Amino acid sequence: MTSLTSADAATFLAREALHLDRLDFDPWLALYTPDCLFWMPAWRDDGTQTEDPDRELSLIFYRGRRNLEDRVQRIRSGFSVASAVMPRVAHMIGNVVTQDAGEGTVRVDSSFLTNVHDVRTNKSHAYFGRYEHELVLVDGEWKIASKIIRLMNDVVPTMLDVYGV
Amino acid sequence: MKPFALRDLVDDRPQDGVFRVNRALFRDQALFDLEMKHVFEGGWVFVGLATQAENPHDYFTNFLGRVPIIIQRDGEGTLRCFVNACPHKGVRLLQKLCGNARRHVCPYHSWTFDSAGANKNIKWQKAGRYAPGFDEENHDLATVAKFGEYRGFLFASLNADVPSLEEHLGETRKLIDLIVDKSPDGVELVPGRVVFTYAANWKMQLENCSDQYHFTSTHPSYIRILDQRAKEQVNEVVQSSIGAADFWQEDASGVTGGTMSFDHGHVLNWGIMPVSSALPEFERAEQLAQLHGVAKRNWMFNMRNLTIFPNLQLAENASSQMRVIRPIAAGMTEMQTWCIAPRGESAQARSFRIRQYEDFFNPTGMATPDDTVCYEEAQIGMAEQDRPWLQGHARGLGASIEGGNDWSDMIGMKPARSVLSDAQLCDESLFGSYYRAWAQRMAGVLS
Ligand code: FES
Ligand SMILES: [Fe+2]
Repeated sequence: MTSLTSADAATFLAREALHLDRLDFDPWLALYTPDCLFWMPAWRDDGTQTEDPDRELSLIFYRGRRNLEDRVQRIRSGFSVASAVMPRVAHMIGNVVTQDAGEGTVRVDSSFLTNVHDVRTNKSHAYFGRYEHELVLVDGEWKIASKIIRLMNDVVPTMLDVYGV
Repeated sequence: MKPFALRDLVDDRPQDGVFRVNRALFRDQALFDLEMKHVFEGGWVFVGLATQAENPHDYFTNFLGRVPIIIQRDGEGTLRCFVNACPHKGVRLLQKLCGNARRHVCPYHSWTFDSAGANKNIKWQKAGRYAPGFDEENHDLATVAKFGEYRGFLFASLNADVPSLEEHLGETRKLIDLIVDKSPDGVELVPGRVVFTYAANWKMQLENCSDQYHFTSTHPSYIRILDQRAKEQVNEVVQSSIGAADFWQEDASGVTGGTMSFDHGHVLNWGIMPVSSALPEFERAEQLAQLHGVAKRNWMFNMRNLTIFPNLQLAENASSQMRVIRPIAAGMTEMQTWCIAPRGESAQARSFRIRQYEDFFNPTGMATPDDTVCYEEAQIGMAEQDRPWLQGHARGLGASIEGGNDWSDMIGMKPARSVLSDAQLCDESLFGSYYRAWAQRMAGVLS
């Protein structure tokens, strides 16, 4: 079975979001393939986002899950003041549309809204935009081969980490 | 009556070995409003790079203090700087960050201006029954009093009564040269602008750029990752340049770097970095030595954090960043940031530069969030209190000398003061230069 219904895809995305909302990073990382792409482009100007991560700047760009493990390690290290009082987050994901991209890959488009409550400053921020996931079947389980986060409100209040988008 | 007394705000007594700053400088909104007028709207301020408007009729918009501005190249290639406000009823003429236009038509009543700022049409002027007084007025876009360029770096001043740009920049021009001369074609901004805000005073960022003291305290979580990556050397992880340097390592011995301060509030802190493949510039190391001499080439590889007072910071360490500070309120600052890079570098060097940049400099990365959170925590601690004087500008006072040292001599640079240091000295006396320039610009409102 290499196809995925929109309902199945929505459940998959909701599970990823649930791990992030719980700040439960091990099962979150386990959703990614070792050579995954994790990419949040920056904005070039008012209307266009950067497209070529090797020649243009991204907000976050990683090829390889190992880099996401570094991010998690920093968050958990106890040596990052920005991660000392962990924000509380809730992701809302909707408008899930799937498309068979061939070769066992399913492309999933969705919209997200993440509410982040910064406990340290008692302020809440909302981040929103679109996700583009590419899911592949590995040993009978769907994994994330690629996730692109198109963040619409890109003026970051103080800081933004992987669990906030 | 001047509203503030300088001696209440900055305690500058070199004869007693004292330099102290009052917390009010970070907190007081009335003082902030005066800073906007006198520091940001009363003297030279960085406004952008010439490459942001490279072709005829290209423009970009920005703010000069609180004033919206347009920087535009006309059809002949001349760059100008205007106030981005229509003379008719004050509407902001251009809303986009950048673009290309021969004509600007005001969205409100269609007054029209060309790319040199001249008024080309007042809608229904003849039918408008204007009285003679109107014809005597200038209907062009207001030009900003002073506008100048040094090697592609653009500066402007709303106040005409300022020293020349050459004098304002002074010896720091040699530090700008180190950045521009990395390529025969100069520098450019990598596409993609990253903007963030933090809830603290603009001077927190001003100081942090040259605050060597904080690095191992604020960023241990990042340093651990650097260490780990250096050991693993696997292809998929982002590699890092500063991991390979020891100017910040507490057990490093001998001179590891230092600071220099210049007239008009500019400062540099720097650290020795070897000419090695840990930096994307390495592909041109030989060529740069031939063109500019070994000493200047070696300086191009050193870690350098340069602040051109009051709002430009050029950080050359893990990668290369251009930061522009835009104060919003006493307790709110906006930062506009770009990766600045030598033109024509190889694709490999460019992507190496970009990868390091993202991890280190972005507000979505692994280092900057720990800085900005500290700024905000500092702002909370800036509340009025019985002991108003900060103790954060005193390190290095005993080591600071007038003039330069062997290292500045290497590139013929003559700073006003300098400190040569080991890894643990972490000079703070250089910040004195900021506050002296600040006091000069604020002189009209400080008794
Ligand atoms: S405000 Fe510009 S034409 Fe009226
Ligand atoms: Fe820092």
